[in-house]
Parts: sequence; C-alpha cells; structure tokens
Amino acid sequence: MRTTAPVIMLLLALGGCASQEVRYRYLPPDTPAADNAVNLEKALGLAAQVASAAKSAMPETTGEFAPITPADAPPLTTYDPWAHFNRSMYRFNARFDEAVFLPVANGYRRLPSPIRAGVHNFFGNLAEVDSVVNYTLQGRLGRGLRSLGRFAINSTLGLGGLFDVAEKLNIPRAPTGFGTTLAKWGMHPGPYLVIPFYGPSTLREGIGLAGDYGTSYAVNVANLYRDGQSWGLGVLNAVDQRANVDFRYYASGSPFEYDTIRFLYVRKLLIEDAGLHRKEPPKRVNPDAPAGE
Amino acid sequence: MKQSVVAFALAILFVFPVIAADPAPIQPPPASGPATGLADLAALRATVFGTPPQDIAPLPEKVPLLEMDLALPWARPVPAVFWFDRRLRVWFSAQDKPAPLAIVIAGTGGDGNTAKLSVLRAVLYGAGYHVLTMPSPTFPGFIVSASSTGVAGDLVQDGRDLYAAIQQIIAHLPRKVRVTDIDILGYSLGGANAAMVKSIDAAERKVNIHRALMINPPVSLFASVGRLDKLYAITLGLGDAGVERFYQQLYAALANLYRTSDRVELDEDFLLGAAAAILKTNAEFSAAIALTFRIALINMFFAGDLYSGSGIVVDPRHPPNVGDSLEETFRILRGKPFSEYFSKVFAPYYLRRRPNSTVDELNAESRLEFIGAALRSDPDYYAQTNSDDLILDAAELDWLKRTFGARIQIYDHGGHLGNLGDRQQVADMLDMLGGRWKGSAQ
Repeated sequence: MRTTAPVIMLLLALGGCASQEVRYRYLPPDTPAADNAVNLEKALGLAAQVASAAKSAMPETTGEFAPITPADAPPLTTYDPWAHFNRSMYRFNARFDEAVFLPVANGYRRLPSPIRAGVHNFFGNLAEVDSVVNYTLQGRLGRGLRSLGRFAINSTLGLGGLFDVAEKLNIPRAPTGFGTTLAKWGMHPGPYLVIPFYGPSTLREGIGLAGDYGTSYAVNVANLYRDGQSWGLGVLNAVDQRANVDFRYYASGSPFEYDTIRFLYVRKLLIEDAGLHRKEPPKRVNPDAPAGE
Repeated sequence: MKQSVVAFALAILFVFPVIAADPAPIQPPPASGPATGLADLAALRATVFGTPPQDIAPLPEKVPLLEMDLALPWARPVPAVFWFDRRLRVWFSAQDKPAPLAIVIAGTGGDGNTAKLSVLRAVLYGAGYHVLTMPSPTFPGFIVSASSTGVAGDLVQDGRDLYAAIQQIIAHLPRKVRVTDIDILGYSLGGANAAMVKSIDAAERKVNIHRALMINPPVSLFASVGRLDKLYAITLGLGDAGVERFYQQLYAALANLYRTSDRVELDEDFLLGAAAAILKTNAEFSAAIALTFRIALINMFFAGDLYSGSGIVVDPRHPPNVGDSLEETFRILRGKPFSEYFSKVFAPYYLRRRPNSTVDELNAESRLEFIGAALRSDPDYYAQTNSDDLILDAAELDWLKRTFGARIQIYDHGGHLGNLGDRQQVADMLDMLGGRWKGSAQ
C-alpha cells in the first residue's frame, strides 16, 4: 500500500491527464475583503516602519558594515553546470505539482482556517528545534535563545505548538537552517539544483535540507520522527508548506520561466548571504564567475 | 494588490532589457508627442503602486472560483517549448441564481487571473454578475492555445480569436449556470479587445453581447507601445553597459536595504517595502513602468517569431526543444524594442498573409478608429480613463472625448490604471454596465 500510492501519483504526473475538451477545477474561493484588510494592515505597518526608520536608525545598523556598491553585484549569468538535469527536473516538478501536489494542497485549503493555522504552527514549532541548533552553530546565541524560548512557550502555553503564543508576546518566528549555517561559515551557494518534488535550490541548500532533516531525526522530539507516523507527518508537512506558497508552475505561460526563477532564486540567496555577513566588508566578486559559483 | 507590487519589484530587479539601435526597414507609426509630459509624479506613482488598499471599493467576503482549461479545435500545432500552454485557461465565478455575465479581458501580456482581474472579479461578483476572466490575446498561453495565427497584436485578428474562444467557453459553462445578459469589459489593451469583440458580435450575433466598457484603453496600440519604448530609451539609455549598470544599482540598493533590516529571509513583505524605498523620482518610476511593459512583450515577440518563422531569434529550421537552454534567446529578446516586433515579425507576416494590404492598413487595424463609427453611434459602448494616463497623448485623449461624448468618464488622476478598483471608478463602472449611467457629472 505504501509503495503503490506514490507509484500511481508518479504515473499520473508523468503521463499528464487524459485529454478532454474541457477540464474543470473548483478552487478554494477567493476572499477579497479579508485579503484587502490584510493589505491595509501591511500598508499601515509599512508607513509606520518608514516613519520610525526616519526618526532613528536601528542600533544594529549604524556604521557597522561597509555598504554594498554596484560593483559588488554578482554577474547577470548564473552558475548552472547541471542545467540539462535541472531543466528536465523543473518540467517533472511542474507536472507533478499540476497533477498531484497542487490539487491535494487546494483540497487542504478548504479545511477551516483555524485547523490549518494549527497545523502550520505545529510544524513551525517543531522547526524551532533545528533553528536552535543552527543559530548556535552560526554563533548567533541571542537568536538561538529566542528560538528556544519560542519552542518552550509554544510547546506548553501553545498546547504542543498548535498556537503561536510567542508571536503574541512579540517574539516573532525567525527560522534558520543548516543551509544558512553553511553560508555563515563561508560556503558559496554552489551549482543551481532543482530537487525532485521540492523545487529550486542549490547544492549548498540541498545539503542544508539534508542536514535539517538529520537534525530533526537525531533530536526526535516526542518520537515523531520514527516509525509509521513519521511518513504521515512528512506528507502533512509538505502539504502545509505547498498550501502556503502562492506559486503556480507556468502561470507565466513563458518558456523563459526556468531562467527567470533560477535568476531570482540565486539573487535572493546571495542577498541573504550578504545579510549574514553584514558586519564584514562585502565580498569582492569575480566578474568571470557566474553568480553562485 | 500586494501581488502586483511584488511582481513589479521582482520585475525591476530581474529583467534587464537593452535597446537595440539598428534601424528597422518598416517603421511603426510615430509616437506623436511624449504623453509622459502629461504625467506627473503622482500619476507615475499611481501607475506603479495601483490603488491603495484603503481606497478600494467594498469587496465581498467570498468569491467562488472555477478554473476551466479548454482544448480549442482550431489551435495550431504546439511548439515543443510551449508544451505547458496547450490549453486555454480561464477563470469563472458563478452566482447561484440567474444573473448577467461579465467577461473581463486582461491587459498586455496578462493571464486570466492577474491581480487587476481579481479586483474586477471581486467587485463585479459582489454586484451580482457571473464573472469570466480571460487572458490577453498577447499572453503566450492564449497565443499558443487560441490564436489562429500565433502572431498577436492585430486588434481585428485578436478580436476574432477572442470571439471564437468566448463562444466555446460559454458553451461549456457549468450546466446549472443561468445567464440573463452578457457584457464585456477589459483594462488597457484588454479594453480595446473588448470593444472589438462587441463590434464583431454586432455583425455575427453569436453571443449577443449587450454592453462593452473600456478601462484606460489605448487609442492606437502601436503608438502607445512606441511611447513606452521611447520612455525606456530615455530613462534607461542604450546599450548593454546601461542595462548592466541599472541591474547593479538595483542589486546594491536591495542588498543594502536587506542588510540594514533585521530580517532573516528576503520575503514578499520585504520586497513590498523595498520597492517603496528604492523608487522615488520621476525617472525611477518611469524606468520601472517602461521595464515592466517591456517584460510583458518578450513572450509575445518570441511566440510570434516562432510561429511566423521570421527567424529573428528562433531559427525556423531548428526550433528549440524542451530541455534546450533559452538563455541566449532571452538575452537577445530583452534588448528588442517593440518597434522591431512590428517591423520584422508582425508586418511581414500579415503582409504575406494578405497580399493586397499595406502597412498603413495594418496600422489602421490597430487603432480604435477602425471601429470608430460604432463607438460614436452605439449607446452601449462606454469608456473610463484618466487625464494623466501616460499611454495617451493629448490628441488621443481628445479623440476619446469626442467619440464617446457622455459615455466616457475621465478622472483627473490615476495615471495608467492607478485608480482601478477605487470607489469612484467601481461605482461608475457598475452604473455603465448596468445601464444606469447618466453621463459624466464633472
């Protein structure tokens, strides 16, 4: 049973659906009023942020780092020595997402939002364990303590992590992982890598994912990472993550989507890396090496 | 709304077109007068950021959403690199009682579910319409699945393709849906498309479209696009060096903002704030607008070249295959202004197809004046635009006023689509579509 279901899913994904004249897909309803209220809140928050930033620069930011200049920008090209594999994997992921992952996530999104929020908080709370370990490895002990505090508060007052009480106490989520630790230790993103079922990544971030899973497996909170329930939890975690990502493969309709996503993803990583080394002078770029190498 | 700002922020950072300077053999109509002269900072800002959330018209709590993927019988063979665009994808929101249907068409390069379409869908659904949102005929997914030529940008041809697609979609709406009346509308180029579809229907009577509304339409497609090409050349300059410099500046600005923030992840909210912090001057807003527009055209250029076999970026004898790298193609395309699409792909293709036609006739088909008689005399055409819309010049704005008379509402501010979804625009739109419009008050 455990093996047949994934095989059927794979066949569906690879074969595509049988061709019919019209296909109907009922989606979870739009919630425009609530969405606009959220946008309004964010806009006001943004205005407040700008105003307060103008009044006093945040203490963390004053004069501790050399600013990045345009000459420090990585080249326009991206390091992708495994492009052939990556392109076919991108296509595979797009088909799998369309045939299996997205329909399941859309079904999941029909559950009442308190239930989904509970699930999301639960997995977020479990991830704090990995964050504590990695903040420690990165030498950011203050942040590590915050993650530990969040884990303690949410596991107890938040009923096993179902509620994010710490957020209400003004200790917001700030997850990290082994990929970021490797970056902090000076490792470059490395070759671009499209991971099957998962999506855009690089070699470093791929190793990071394996490290994160290894950490969770080793700590094994409440014995969740052993035996039968670990599979169920893994799938639920994946569905929760997918349901919270507003991305549709080939919504752009564009044959350049692979290139665009690769470009975006690696620049995002590099900017985050620059943020990790905010107290050091910017790394000099080698204009002949593609971004990420 | 948020989506569009983020998309825009990504766009300004991550696509780097270059203006190619080689002269074209056939020139598109000259862009008469810099319309940007009409646009002040407020207009540019509105164009980039759209209607602020506090000014948005009242929205319903829930809008049901059905995605329909159609295989259309007249679709041309699908090129390998477009394997994912085989079917036309549209979105439909059904009332649970008999109701009028509003068909809404996206602007240049837009799919059938853009952030602007979502706003229109919400207010129209809230006002009691079934709502069908459709991609622009310049969207690659439409070009591949529904175009009979593969070469988009001809208002008449695109109108015919849209009209045929609409008939198929209506025939396949869920069986329980009861439609009492049909109206059509669109924003930007989609507005011109909507009016063209109604005028075709007036002759053929296969759908029986009642009213048509154009929101911020171009008066001449190629003149408006030429204006944006020009804006691009002015703000971003010429040549590869200019493009690289622009990218490097944006990268540095974003990276420094990120380093001063306390964030552990570069997420959407950060980009939202970054766009507000990075863009401040007229030139920056103008560059962003010109760039966003250029991006919307890259796919259309590529598809047109591929389908017509023009060989500008794609060798017709060796079309690219699924796993092939398109990096070089993209690099060349981002440097091509729209005028080159017109002169090297569009015009040669249509002149070949219609041996007795001329470039002037092709140009005429891209102007609203082509259906001017209907727009002037039929009381069921309406329009909304802004006096500071940067895709129009003063003469074109005047043409709209004279043509529509009391059936147009011109707002003082909003730039291009920067007031879409605000209370006044929505109230007037619903009055126009509902037949309650008493003429412009101001």
